[in-house]
Amino acid sequence: MYWVSIVTEAAIFAILALGLDVVWGWAGDFDLAFYGYLALGSYMTMVLTIGKPTPPVSYILGYHLPYPVALLLAVAAVVVLAALIGAVALRNLREIYFAVTTLSAVSALYLIVENYTPLFDGYNGVYGLVNPGQTALNLTYNGYRIVFLGVVLVLLALVCLLVQRLSASPFGRMLRSIREDEHAAAAYGRGVFSAKYRAYLFGAALAGLAGGLFAVFISAFNPSAWTPQELLVIYAAILVGGRGNPLGVVAGVFGVYIGFIELTRFLPAPSSRPEFGPALRQVLIGLLIILMLKFRPAGLFSERLSRDRGPQ
Amino acid sequence: MTTFLISVGIGLATAAILALSAVAFTLEYAVSRVANFAHGELLTIGAYAAYSGQRLFHQNVVAAALIAAAAGLVAGLLMNAGLIEQFRGRSATTVFIATLGASLVLQNLVEMIYGAANVSYSFSQGGLHHIGPFLWTTGNIEVIISALAVAGLIYLLLQRTRFGKAVRAVSQDRTLAQVSGIPARRVVMGTWGLAGAIAGFAGFILADTIGTFGPQLGFSFLLLTITATVAGGIGRPYATLGGALLVGLVIQIAGTYTNSAYQLVWAFALLVLLMLFRPNGLFVRRGATAVRA
Repeated sequence: MYWVSIVTEAAIFAILALGLDVVWGWAGDFDLAFYGYLALGSYMTMVLTIGKPTPPVSYILGYHLPYPVALLLAVAAVVVLAALIGAVALRNLREIYFAVTTLSAVSALYLIVENYTPLFDGYNGVYGLVNPGQTALNLTYNGYRIVFLGVVLVLLALVCLLVQRLSASPFGRMLRSIREDEHAAAAYGRGVFSAKYRAYLFGAALAGLAGGLFAVFISAFNPSAWTPQELLVIYAAILVGGRGNPLGVVAGVFGVYIGFIELTRFLPAPSSRPEFGPALRQVLIGLLIILMLKFRPAGLFSERLSRDRGPQ
Repeated sequence: MTTFLISVGIGLATAAILALSAVAFTLEYAVSRVANFAHGELLTIGAYAAYSGQRLFHQNVVAAALIAAAAGLVAGLLMNAGLIEQFRGRSATTVFIATLGASLVLQNLVEMIYGAANVSYSFSQGGLHHIGPFLWTTGNIEVIISALAVAGLIYLLLQRTRFGKAVRAVSQDRTLAQVSGIPARRVVMGTWGLAGAIAGFAGFILADTIGTFGPQLGFSFLLLTITATVAGGIGRPYATLGGALLVGLVIQIAGTYTNSAYQLVWAFALLVLLMLFRPNGLFVRRGATAVRA
């Protein structure tokens, strides 16, 4: 069961990373709000499935919808939020200005969710989504977890296929041309904002999907689960795998997640200092980011650019 | 009206700390053209160095402040040599992501050494004083006076010394400064040392003002620092002071009249508005190009 859990988590984050890679790898926008999209997807899935809150717990909605319906609605909610942030941040802001703006947006959101309890019960967060559909499917707890892993892997494969098709499509090539030279792309008649905006919404939808799956995986969600810095692990994974190369990104996520979790099992973890292990893991992730950027910025499996075959 | 003036008073103390942090951030940007996301950790290092030092020096505030500045200076020099210079010539976003990685490393190194739990100094904040219309603690007054003194020293250093002249030249054009015979590498190094020392000191007075602090101290102050810097105009040390004053007052006053938990939300909203409408700063005439982004 240990491995089922690790692989499920890695597969969920691979979906998130594929979405983020469309935004950063293809369109070239370094976004720091993305973990907020996963969080919103997770929160929305929960409040749509776990029913009315019992005081003193409080959160919005509180419906008893079937899980797949809730998942779709959660993705829709995430896309709406991304549409708002993207409309503001993508219009004129690029590079660091874009990154700082998205970071302040997600930080403001974080503070509001943490302090405004009627939304998602503030710091306590929401919980209670335990294996939706387990009784209907007549499964044991462990059996359900294995089936869930299967579902996540199938979804990951579908997303991966979709992203790969998109990557090779005219849309994917247009995004890369905008990344390389926005002015040239505009001069050739490409709508820069609209292309970046569509890529952003697509990426955010994948983040929302990952969030909805993550809700089932951990069955409880509160602000400590999504500090904006969590996103750096995903960026590290994309950097290792190869920015702009979907299969590389998936390999990077599995490598970094499983590699780090396995590695940190063998690191010293004094029982008097429970924060020592996680902190050391973060240090290593930070170092990994710096070293990859310095020595191998294209990643282990670098982006394969489609060649212009030209008229025969 | 009294409430308003008290929040203005506290806002001035916040603004003083913010001004120091933002001036350091802007100096880093001026010579290296990098938005340093590990800047907050310079403050954290200063704060924790003073925490380690306070027992050694028997609660002497001046000694603690000097230790904080010295630790910041060393950290600033190392950050420049070990990180920023290593990425020289790479795209702005690449350097930026690298500093984000460095921030993660430093913050968690502090956590590994000191633990995640909050710590606090044992300096007394002193009594309350009515000065003019404001209500300040002795600690607040010390913060404001020391920030003014440091700002004055930076002004003299930048305007009246050869080093200051060299810093201004390098920040305009590093290559041109180099060919004019200015030892650009050493000037950049010196600037990072200076910025580190200012940031370390700012970290100390920030931690002392807040009361208790943890490894996230500097990082959580970073967006506020960036807001102040952008409000003033990034890369322009004196305008940054004005930006800090504005941001310090805005968040304090907004926080007094709304729920104080949302104080930072106002700062972030202000930052987004600045990014959209005045990315070159409030004090730049429209159309004037002060900074090459």
